[in-house]
Amino acid sequence: MSRARVVSAIPRRSILRSAPIASFALVTGAFLQTAHADAIDEAALIRQFVGGTATPSSRVHVQMPKIFSNGYSVPLTLFVESPMTEADYVRTIHVLAPKNPIIPVANFSFSPQSGQAKLSTRIRLAQTQDVLAIAEMNDGTLLLGRGSTQVDVDGCK
Amino acid sequence: MPSIQPRIQAPDIVAKGEVFEVRTLITHPMETGLRKNAAGETIPRKIIHAFRCHYNGAEVFSADMHEAMSENPYFSFYVRAAESGSLKLSWEEDGGAVASLEKPLKVEA
Repeated sequence: MSRARVVSAIPRRSILRSAPIASFALVTGAFLQTAHADAIDEAALIRQFVGGTATPSSRVHVQMPKIFSNGYSVPLTLFVESPMTEADYVRTIHVLAPKNPIIPVANFSFSPQSGQAKLSTRIRLAQTQDVLAIAEMNDGTLLLGRGSTQVDVDGCK
Repeated sequence: MPSIQPRIQAPDIVAKGEVFEVRTLITHPMETGLRKNAAGETIPRKIIHAFRCHYNGAEVFSADMHEAMSENPYFSFYVRAAESGSLKLSWEEDGGAVASLEKPLKVEA
């Protein structure tokens, strides 16, 4: 028997064994439910943890590796374009991880004396997700940026 | 936090007006309160929840941290040089213990 024939025989047999229509419907239902639970109301999270409404902005940069297998220590760099003067500076960057068991990650605060609103650190991620950075400017404006990393190992266990 | 050695990496001498990088690391498990021990009991939360950097007495950078900060918290951030003096860093753990570190900074005109 050739190798190709063995490989093709296995899926066919397993389908025959496990394909009652009822179980197929159950699996489909579970999938739909998961997809629904994955829909995150980001605006509501921002209202809850930051307070207010954030406008998406290209001035807020969230740099993370595309893939980082270990969710315990994911590198994160945040940078907000700002002159950092007394009249116009970034007061705080709020970081949220919507799919972590505890959603707020940290708040980083600056002053005009910081020179630039930029920092690097390492965070824990439970699963692949968009990390949200909400920059609060000195006039109270909220600007939103995002980054994402594919994580294989739950860093919150 | 008696045995913990915080570390800082920053220039000794900077030019007035220069924006320079400060890097810090402190050894700490950052226990989230989500993990269980071998007996199945929850290990209580114990994290460093606050980090502050003061430059000549004024706060220039701070972090208020939750459970999602990785163990051995590391930061890189920036400070604009004004006058000679010092950078004072402090870390506060749950329960109130504080670790701190001071580094002199010389600013040249």
